[in-house]
Amino acid sequence: MAAISPQPTFEGDIFSAQLVHTDSNLLACAEPDYKPFIPGNSLRRMTRVLKMGLTAALKCSQESGITTPGPIVTGTGKGSLQDTEKFIKEIVEYKETALNPTPFIQSTYNSVNGLIALQQKCTAYNNTFVHRGFSFENALLDSMMLLQEGATHTLTGAFEEITKEHFYIKSRIGFWKDQPTDSRELYRHLSPGSIAGEGATFFTLTGTPTPQSYAAISDFRMLYKPTGNKLTIALRAFTEAPDLIITGRNGDSNFEHYYQELDQCFPGIPQLPFKHLCGEYDTAGAFGLWLAARILKAQQIPAAWFPGIGHLPTPVHSILFYNHFYGEQHVMLKLEKV
Amino acid sequence: MEELKKKLKEQIIEALNLQDTKPEDIDDNAPLFGEGLGLDSIDSLELMVLLERQYHIKVEDPREGRKILQSVQSMAEFIQSKQPA
Repeated sequence: MAAISPQPTFEGDIFSAQLVHTDSNLLACAEPDYKPFIPGNSLRRMTRVLKMGLTAALKCSQESGITTPGPIVTGTGKGSLQDTEKFIKEIVEYKETALNPTPFIQSTYNSVNGLIALQQKCTAYNNTFVHRGFSFENALLDSMMLLQEGATHTLTGAFEEITKEHFYIKSRIGFWKDQPTDSRELYRHLSPGSIAGEGATFFTLTGTPTPQSYAAISDFRMLYKPTGNKLTIALRAFTEAPDLIITGRNGDSNFEHYYQELDQCFPGIPQLPFKHLCGEYDTAGAFGLWLAARILKAQQIPAAWFPGIGHLPTPVHSILFYNHFYGEQHVMLKLEKV
Repeated sequence: MEELKKKLKEQIIEALNLQDTKPEDIDDNAPLFGEGLGLDSIDSLELMVLLERQYHIKVEDPREGRKILQSVQSMAEFIQSKQPA
């Protein structure tokens, strides 16, 4: 696994890392040095999310010891916004003439997948899912089906970026809080909207566990726009009491009631929310899954990221992951120790 | 002509984001593609766009484009030939 996020997740020990926070309502990624991963001649043309996505994918492959990936399956809500915005601005500026090919090529959602395949010389199955809050989850579902059909492994991930323009557009439709909010206090200030975020997260998935495996995904369910009652029924049917719950709680009062349903279904089970670490975005679930798997493998939590949370129940055998994207796309995952 | 070549080198560096390259690093007659700067086919499209945006010259024939984009020298000569006397 590999993650580029607003926290120092790409390198070093996350369990002793400090918490990165903001009061600007936007958590931007801590970008690594890309040069060890991407040749300079390719790097010069790439925009931020392409560099983040490709580098996270390469680090993930490196960590798993798989030099040529099999199927590459990703999810993204928006793809490269920087390229999209540049291309659209140039259409206006140059009156639909003399347009640069690069922003157009790179604005397509499957650019990151293409770059991974080119750099890794991989000619296997290659697909990018673009389904808003279900983008990563559909990539995950597709990967699981590929494994079931006999693929030995998949490179599965998600990437998203936030730009100044996109932050502004989303703020106009109430995605973000209208007052500057300290990300450390996110869950204490219930009000409409959340804080923006971004990230690139990749996993190597295998059909059977290996000594390097972090966790096993033992169950998975997606629900579209459920009522509170339907969600409760689905959560109760999904799993018996897990040892730990990781939630996508994000301080948004418009959709907090879904998390309250979760509280009622599993009273007394410790919960770790993760949106104060990465912000809210279409594929934030990939970061949450990465965090859950890290916790399961290490059997500890990054202490500075969760101040005030006491010790975990030890050992943690199972984690319920629950997240939703603005009340529409709801995801439940059950992770187990391997 | 020397002034045009200097300006062209600066524009190429900016348009193609050639980090760590300075105008004086580019030899007037060195090939832009393959050896020399090591540019590729997407760069050739970017250079066509550069000619159109900066000098209002549209290259319609791709075979002609190949000759024009051989080097900074050939690009400068082409630009000069298209400018009013």
